[in-house]
Amino acid sequence: MEADIRWLDDPKVFRVGQLPAHSDHPIYGDVEEAAEGKSSLVQSLDGNWEFAYSVNAKSRPVDFYRENADSAQFDTIRVPGHIELAGYDQIHYINTMYPWEGKIYRRPAYTLGKGLAEGAFSEAEYNPVGSYRKRFHLAEDLRGKRVIICFEGVEQAIYVWLNGHFVGYAEDSFTPSEFDLTPYIKEKDNLLAVEVHKRSTAAFLEDQDFFRFFGIFRSVELYAKPQWHVEDLWAKPYFSVEDGKGTLDAAIKISAEGEGQRPGKMRVCLSDANGKCLLEQTQILQSQAEQTLHLRETLAEKVIPWSHENPYLYQLEITLTDSEGEVTEVVPYKIGFRDFALDPQDKVMKLNGERLVICGVNRHEWNAASGRCISMEDMKWDIACFKRNNINAVRTCHYPDRMEWYTLCDEAGIYMMAETNLESHGSWQKMGAVEPSWNVPGSLPEWKEAVVDRARTNFECYKNHPSILFWSLGNESYAEDDIAAMQQFFKEKDDLRLVHYEGVFHNKAYEDVISDMESRMYAYPQEIIDYLENDPKKPYLLCEYMHDMGNSLGGMKSYMELLDRFEMYQGGFIWDYIDQALWVEDEVTGRGVLRYGGDFDDRPSDYEFSGNGILFADRSEKPAMQEVRYYYGTQNRNR
Amino acid sequence: MALRIVIGDVTIGIHGQDFSYIFSVGSGGMESLYKDGKEWLYRSPRPAFWRAVTDNDRGCGFAFRSAVWSAADRFVRCSRVEARMDGQEIAIPLAPANNKYTGKETCDRFEIIYTYETPTVPVTEVTVTYTVETDGRIHVQADYCGKQGLPELPVFGMRFLMPTAAERYTYEGLSGETYPDRMAGGIPGVYEVQGLPVTPYMVPQDCGMHMQTKWVEIVRKTSLDNTDRGERSSRLKITAEEGKHFAFSCLPYTAQELENAMHHEELPPARRTVVSILGAVRGVGGINSWGADVEDAYHISGEQDITYGFWIE
Repeated sequence: MEADIRWLDDPKVFRVGQLPAHSDHPIYGDVEEAAEGKSSLVQSLDGNWEFAYSVNAKSRPVDFYRENADSAQFDTIRVPGHIELAGYDQIHYINTMYPWEGKIYRRPAYTLGKGLAEGAFSEAEYNPVGSYRKRFHLAEDLRGKRVIICFEGVEQAIYVWLNGHFVGYAEDSFTPSEFDLTPYIKEKDNLLAVEVHKRSTAAFLEDQDFFRFFGIFRSVELYAKPQWHVEDLWAKPYFSVEDGKGTLDAAIKISAEGEGQRPGKMRVCLSDANGKCLLEQTQILQSQAEQTLHLRETLAEKVIPWSHENPYLYQLEITLTDSEGEVTEVVPYKIGFRDFALDPQDKVMKLNGERLVICGVNRHEWNAASGRCISMEDMKWDIACFKRNNINAVRTCHYPDRMEWYTLCDEAGIYMMAETNLESHGSWQKMGAVEPSWNVPGSLPEWKEAVVDRARTNFECYKNHPSILFWSLGNESYAEDDIAAMQQFFKEKDDLRLVHYEGVFHNKAYEDVISDMESRMYAYPQEIIDYLENDPKKPYLLCEYMHDMGNSLGGMKSYMELLDRFEMYQGGFIWDYIDQALWVEDEVTGRGVLRYGGDFDDRPSDYEFSGNGILFADRSEKPAMQEVRYYYGTQNRNR
Repeated sequence: MALRIVIGDVTIGIHGQDFSYIFSVGSGGMESLYKDGKEWLYRSPRPAFWRAVTDNDRGCGFAFRSAVWSAADRFVRCSRVEARMDGQEIAIPLAPANNKYTGKETCDRFEIIYTYETPTVPVTEVTVTYTVETDGRIHVQADYCGKQGLPELPVFGMRFLMPTAAERYTYEGLSGETYPDRMAGGIPGVYEVQGLPVTPYMVPQDCGMHMQTKWVEIVRKTSLDNTDRGERSSRLKITAEEGKHFAFSCLPYTAQELENAMHHEELPPARRTVVSILGAVRGVGGINSWGADVEDAYHISGEQDITYGFWIE
């Protein structure tokens, strides 16, 4: 297949040649590697890449992916990173307005009774392109095996070629995009070419309140699939509140290098935190390319349920061996037994039988030096900050985070609202008024698959994390059929979690088919009382509250008191965790200073609205944090 | 030992063993506060009516509704001065009535009352009463006269502008930066703050407030006095009335300086100490930043009287 630039204009095209999303399980060549956490099956491609910037698709180096293409004019760029922060395209902060406001007249394809908006992105005068090239030798341990490339995050639309062959196209900036390189990969001198477009129809779905960047901003790696390989793991650890027993229900999808392999074996072992094996099973791997093995067993002993107070994790280990008994792949995965449900009697959300109280915060990924390209240290710092300030929950606003964050939350006992990468704020709310005349996704069939796919990817990648209590359908995208279809997807797949979506508040006609809870943002305390005193249908939470812009966070008491007054008020997520500002060298003094929206000659902008954190952009705590620590601590002490 | 009083033509001096104060009739305020080896005033203290607006103040329209207080903060006028020695009225203007004095006058209690009028519509008044005791302690009483039709205030109190930047301050009150609607997390104690930190909010705005303070002691090493070699740190302590407390901030900038800057790098070099001792502070709010006002309990009405006092020791 050949790449087609017109895919940028078509909401129906969002993944071409991309592998299906699957669980985020790590893979190792053997037990020793697993113990060390260093896999011989993975090769990082992070580092310096060749790079060319073009202001639009028309002027991009079209043939750059060819082996014989001339890349003498290419610069060098660091991967991962944002192209704007490398100095190529203008840095721009804007909140709800689309980033082309006042510059380009655009309506989404298929809205207002019209058809495809041909050339809306592919022929735009301004729609920058980053052309990346990377030469690499395949690491020895990966040779002779099936080789997959994983882009953990690329904003916003990418085309990928290997050794001159087109391998695929992807959107959805904040989830992994994988492509099979096996047909074209060589042992040495491979040429990987990636074309990143700043905007596509995906831009209508990614109108988050943040700095608008593009580029390969998360890691890129290759991994090899051994003879037998775990493609997907869906381990459901049920906890019974009645008898304290745990049941593991797992489906493990295995692929083989090809048909006609001699039968192998899969050994599954579940052990507690001390390494004591509680469950062990061996199953035969049949001679077929793909198979799914099932396992369901209730543990003999009671289990320790996972919670914020005691985030107890069990280790699941899957070992695949070939017909000779040689280990080909080891997959360790930490799981937690817990029960989370909406009690139909009192309409209260309960974790392990007890009322859940969310003392949460919304967290954008941010680093003042590198934007949304954040480090492991940043994430660990954030977890420590949550712990010392009694924050027990996080909403991944408004997109899935770096993969490691989910595991860190499992280990730290942080309840997560895992939000899907969707926000179309500018398509329905204009100058504060609800005006959905060209809302996407709305009920448009042409946009439905794109958003359901985003839900699917979010689910498939992170479904095994005990920290995730809620799937969130996205943020501020209004509510019609397509978002209802996202909810339906989660409901069909997952009985361990609840579904959250706030935007249905603006279209109550959908309240029975969207969101398990009444979710609001910035509701006044009295509005909460009014809802809960008038025959409430659903439990209530605030997905955003306490807007901590500048010197703020006053009046938290009024919200915290409601927790004692109404069982069905179950807390909220402060807006938000960290100011979005960037380090720049002051043009006058030469000193490093923090700059925010509008400080890059970026217009239109929402200026200082980029900073609402309980942390400053440099991660130091704002004075308001002691208030958060106090009130959230009160809730912890009450339990 | 009684206070030695010098009734000049423009000012009244009050002198004791280790202090020396000058109250000006001409400039309409306390002119000099010399104590512990240093001058503590750069300009005479004035009533404070304004704070550098917060993002929430702007977002909810408070800055627009109450903008007159910004002008009042800068441009009050002293309309009347009264002074008494041990209850005996001192004639004002001072000259030529002061020709009767000998230069050896003393008293046990000196009182001076400044009345300020505001450039607001309607006009209102603030009276500031300084009472000096024989031990050198000064009681300051500030009374705001509420008037129908005046908008809400962001703060009310007294602001002291000191000649040089302090090196540190110590206070007994709540930990961290607190406001009336954000002080539950403040832990009571004695805290020392080095330098004059300005909280690095992205857009400079009011900051550094300390609610429920029993006392604050400011320590300065530098002065503008050419004979002072800056070898010795001097202290000035401000104490709440018995059983009461005040709010204060101690910053290197005035509300106007903070408000003029859109980034911290636009703030001038820190060269003075601006101490606001406040009897009333508006909350910071937090419901949202685009319209929701601070909760009712944390507003300061401009239509009601505000009265409070403190000691300079």
